Amino acid sequence: MVHVGKNTKSTIVSKGISAGHGQNSYRGLVKIQKSATNARNFSQCDSLLLGNKCGAHTFPYIEVKNTSSQVEHEASTSKIGEDQIFYCNQRGLATQDAVNMIVNGFCKEVFRELPMEFAVEAQKLLGVSLEGSVG
Amino acid sequence: MSNQPILEIKDLNAGVERKQILKGIDLTINEGEVHAIMGPNGSGKSTLAAILAGREGYDITAGQVLYDGQDLLELDPEERAREGLFLAFQYPVEIPGVNSTYFLQAALNEIRKHKGQPELDAADFLSLVKDKIKLLELKEDLLRRSVNEGFSGGEKKRNEIFQMAVLEPRLAVLDETDSGLDIDALKIVSHGVNKLRRDDNAQLVITHYQRLLNYIVPDFVHVLVDGRIVRTGDKQLALDLEEKGYDWIVKEEPVAV
Repeated sequence: MVHVGKNTKSTIVSKGISAGHGQNSYRGLVKIQKSATNARNFSQCDSLLLGNKCGAHTFPYIEVKNTSSQVEHEASTSKIGEDQIFYCNQRGLATQDAVNMIVNGFCKEVFRELPMEFAVEAQKLLGVSLEGSVG
Repeated sequence: MSNQPILEIKDLNAGVERKQILKGIDLTINEGEVHAIMGPNGSGKSTLAAILAGREGYDITAGQVLYDGQDLLELDPEERAREGLFLAFQYPVEIPGVNSTYFLQAALNEIRKHKGQPELDAADFLSLVKDKIKLLELKEDLLRRSVNEGFSGGEKKRNEIFQMAVLEPRLAVLDETDSGLDIDALKIVSHGVNKLRRDDNAQLVITHYQRLLNYIVPDFVHVLVDGRIVRTGDKQLALDLEEKGYDWIVKEEPVAV
């Protein structure tokens, strides 16, 4: 994300999911040039872990060339817990459905921004690629 | 068909990692009955609830549990739930990003599918839910929030009973539903639970305190001490306990091995 003009604003939302032995990294540059006075950026990186052997890493790069800009970065990591799965099971949901539900909940913020067709497609893809990754 | 047993626990022995927690539980719950299990901390109350619901991590070393005549311990947790066994959690779990209404609709439809009933669509479900939510005096905006996320302790407990109202279980196990509730919330929750009492279902109420049993009046009270049911009585037993404390029973009971 490169800011050139003044009073420019940007938002980055990144959602990463790691399963199995997967490692997931976010690397993002936010550059605010000298001309971009009063620029603002907000970056958010959320990671979801499925299982005990995967990991998530976040490497934000921030370059700011003036003093009037604001750049914010937030990162979170959460894990689908056995407790959450058991809670869903106890309400009658199979483990795979529970995982899909939790993963979709995690991605909702991003999916919401996608055009309808994409969102449906993305949701289905996630369902397929995570099959059997837990339990 | 009255007095048909829903749950029959026979000589249940169980524990974790070689530590014995339940040491021979016998308990039969029939249709239309409300049973209370009381006991001091660490007596195995929550373990019993967890084993009934099918939580992993417990070793069943002996005994049998029959649910409507079938071997309960053979079933997966989700199968037990679909058969109508409901656990109101002592510590309800937060599921961020998963909408409460969506979650509950999925749960209800799994149960309906299992029973061979048609699934409810969103509109029918919503009208059902709006009906039930009034029972617990919960705000409707709860339905738009994520499951238990950011709920107060009292809201979480009420939400459990609200889910119970929607799912209409055959056997409801309430694991210390009263803990963390103020007196007003306790009344609302009890009122909700009582409304759900029918001739063809049953409730197992687990609690520390007699207080809850002023509102949810049990047919039977069992006292669980150190993994055994040491005494069974009616609601008077709970009152005696309140007055004299658990020590009274522990002392009176000859230490049976």
